[in-house]
Amino acid sequence: MDGYLVVAASVIVSGVLVGTIYAVVAAGLSLIHGTILMPQASNGQIFLGAGLVLWWLQTQAGWPLWLAVPAVIAAGLALVFSLELLVFRRFYARADRSITYLVVTLGLAQMLSGLYIGAFGRISDTFSVPPPARGYAFIDPTPVSNARLLAFTAAATVLCALIAFLRLHRFGRALRAVFQNRDVARLRGIDIISTYRLALGLGTAVTTVGGMLYAVAFTLDLTVGWTMTLITFSIMIVGGPGSVLGALCVGLVFGFTQAIVSVFADPTIATFAYLLAMLAMLFLRPNGLFSR
Amino acid sequence: MKLRIAILVAALPLLGLFGDPKGLTVFIVGLVLINMLLASGLNLLYGFGGLIPFTFAGISGTSAFICCNLVLHAGWSFWIALPVGCVAASILGLALSFPAIRLRGFYFALSGLVIQSALTIAFIYFPSLTNGDTGITSIPRPTLAGQPIVSPWLEILIATATVLTVTGISALMRSPIGSMLIAIRDDEDLSRALGINVTAVRSLAFLIASLIAGLGGGVYAHYVGFVSPRTFDVLISLNLWLMVAVGGRGTLVGPLLGALILTPLPFIFQQYTWIKDVIYGGAIVVVIMFLPAGLFGLLQRRAS
Amino acid sequence: MTSPSPLFQTSGLSKRFGGLQALASVDALQYPGELLGLIGPNGSGKSTFVNVVSGTLPGDEGKVWLEGRQISGLPQHLVTRAGVARTFQAVKVFRELSVLDNVLAGLLGHRARPHEANERARSAMDRVGLTVAPDTAAGRLSLFDQRRLEFAMRLVAKPTLLMLDEPVGGLNPEEIRSMIALISSLREHCGILIIEHTMKVITSLADRVMVLVNGRKLIDDAPGVVLRDRAVIETYLGA
Repeated sequence: MDGYLVVAASVIVSGVLVGTIYAVVAAGLSLIHGTILMPQASNGQIFLGAGLVLWWLQTQAGWPLWLAVPAVIAAGLALVFSLELLVFRRFYARADRSITYLVVTLGLAQMLSGLYIGAFGRISDTFSVPPPARGYAFIDPTPVSNARLLAFTAAATVLCALIAFLRLHRFGRALRAVFQNRDVARLRGIDIISTYRLALGLGTAVTTVGGMLYAVAFTLDLTVGWTMTLITFSIMIVGGPGSVLGALCVGLVFGFTQAIVSVFADPTIATFAYLLAMLAMLFLRPNGLFSR
Repeated sequence: MKLRIAILVAALPLLGLFGDPKGLTVFIVGLVLINMLLASGLNLLYGFGGLIPFTFAGISGTSAFICCNLVLHAGWSFWIALPVGCVAASILGLALSFPAIRLRGFYFALSGLVIQSALTIAFIYFPSLTNGDTGITSIPRPTLAGQPIVSPWLEILIATATVLTVTGISALMRSPIGSMLIAIRDDEDLSRALGINVTAVRSLAFLIASLIAGLGGGVYAHYVGFVSPRTFDVLISLNLWLMVAVGGRGTLVGPLLGALILTPLPFIFQQYTWIKDVIYGGAIVVVIMFLPAGLFGLLQRRAS
Repeated sequence: MTSPSPLFQTSGLSKRFGGLQALASVDALQYPGELLGLIGPNGSGKSTFVNVVSGTLPGDEGKVWLEGRQISGLPQHLVTRAGVARTFQAVKVFRELSVLDNVLAGLLGHRARPHEANERARSAMDRVGLTVAPDTAAGRLSLFDQRRLEFAMRLVAKPTLLMLDEPVGGLNPEEIRSMIALISSLREHCGILIIEHTMKVITSLADRVMVLVNGRKLIDDAPGVVLRDRAVIETYLGA
């Protein structure tokens, strides 16, 4: 009996943890797609890259955590704003930009995945970031590593901060206004282009943080990028583009499903189920469950 | 529609056969010809039809796996297994197009992406058909009267298939169906208002393109000798799309040109297999930004 | 003398979009040889009416007949083949294709013998007064010529009913005069229904006028009667 309880508890714990990280990344994706109508298919690779660079900075370059984390976020922002300057901004005014962005970001994803294999592939197959905190805490009746507790707390904090920002802060409200109705937002004097850039920056920052948290809580391998893209796209479509709340709820559900399935079978089956859910949503209700 | 130029371009790779018959050059010739065939099929849907079909690789793979299994495990002849694979591919392609055909541009592409990813997962986790991630090896070359067909005859055979495919596509595009496809690509709502049955025309285009995908997949499997689920995943659809986009979509020559240019590239950097992804990915970005009409479109503009 | 059978007829036609009742049980009627005008305030359901009759959108309730044959519920391409043609409020042509290819496209959905096609296309272009070179890209035509092209694309298929959605939108006064003359000349070929805001067009062309307000038919009578009707003046023309 005790054994089942431990298993159940550990399923809940890992479900919540991975679900929160999913939610963070999906929120970033959703923000970008909701505002700019850009389906950012390279988000999974940016997620992976953040984790890989963190690993490298800590284990190969010997940087401390408090230095490495901001450096990674900065690098991610530098990357995405260079892309904005060179590529993305050309298509802001096009009515059919979503498909263009989809293909361009897929190309970027392919580039990045190739670069990762070249840069990191010969070093190792898997990458473990040194835990920021040692030891275990007991969440009855299962032990949880402090590193994972820290990761979960950070992820939850990011989500709450994001929701608060969107509801309370001036810029956050501008983001929501643009997502809800571009033309009305323009009439109200909101600078649409700046809002696009804000969404890109925020969404990417949140994705890099998610990648680092995942690297801390779990082990990275080079396939995680594509898997993450599929999972977060599913969460976004099912939850509804632009809805952070949707990303949160659906992300948690997916996290739980993943955890439960992992007990019995290959977690890829869960991914398969997410894809089917996304497909069903696309055909029945493309605006997602939490659409306004 | 300049069919003669297209046939010439399709035959160009055969020049590479004047190298040594067992060498890498000949192998590349074969691959170029197969990619020309596949890209032409994808061009039917993308270039002439205006839809990006991410499921193309998975449909091709289904034919490849069926064909291999019939030859390796059931002892069928390649010449019977291949048509069976093609028919299976066209049925699958038609079935997969049904729900998506009502979706517009971006959502259609996204649904294709999802279905293709699901197909790749299915390929990996149904090892009875595909041998899982390990893949199927030692696929024999097609035989004629008991003897395996050798290079350069094999490449010449493939070239014939490619030329026939391009000729078929040319005939289709010159028929009323072809005109309807182009009208639908230009303005779907207007086409419907003028009495064109958009769903039927698109379904037919999918059927034919899937047939071509199946043909290319079966031929590829028996030419290269090895296939795995990764051989037919999203990036492959994306890279075939790239060949069409680089060469010039909506033309007969475009996909041939694209396949000709892009297929040999990874072999230049053979020791760094990952560079292929960087180059192809980069090419996608460049094409989207600077070359909407592809190289062929650029050449046409320079000429006029 | 018995009245002729109607060219087209609707009965109880209704359509909702979420919470909005765009059409509420509309009964309409048009006789052969008549030009019917359709007027009403913005959002009153005029375009929705044309959308449902032409099959662009499915109706929720009600029926539509064309020359006694029921066409409601048919997919749009079959409604068009039955003889109903419509234009769109914003001009729509195949911008990348040539003028001739545009007109030929009008025949694609219909049965036409290949050797006849070119002949019918040129004849349609003559009828609408389109004199530009047939190989010009349609996207480069002036607005008026594009409107003419739209007519040619429909006429080539010999429609029974031609529904025009604000055909003079964007034209200058002289072009509007030409357009009125052109539409008038098309009357001998098919029944015409026009959605319009410009009263001059309605009064010059329409034999009867139907007024829609909030999805309901308010009145349906000769232009002189309709434009003096008190309810119409209050709700639409602005007292």
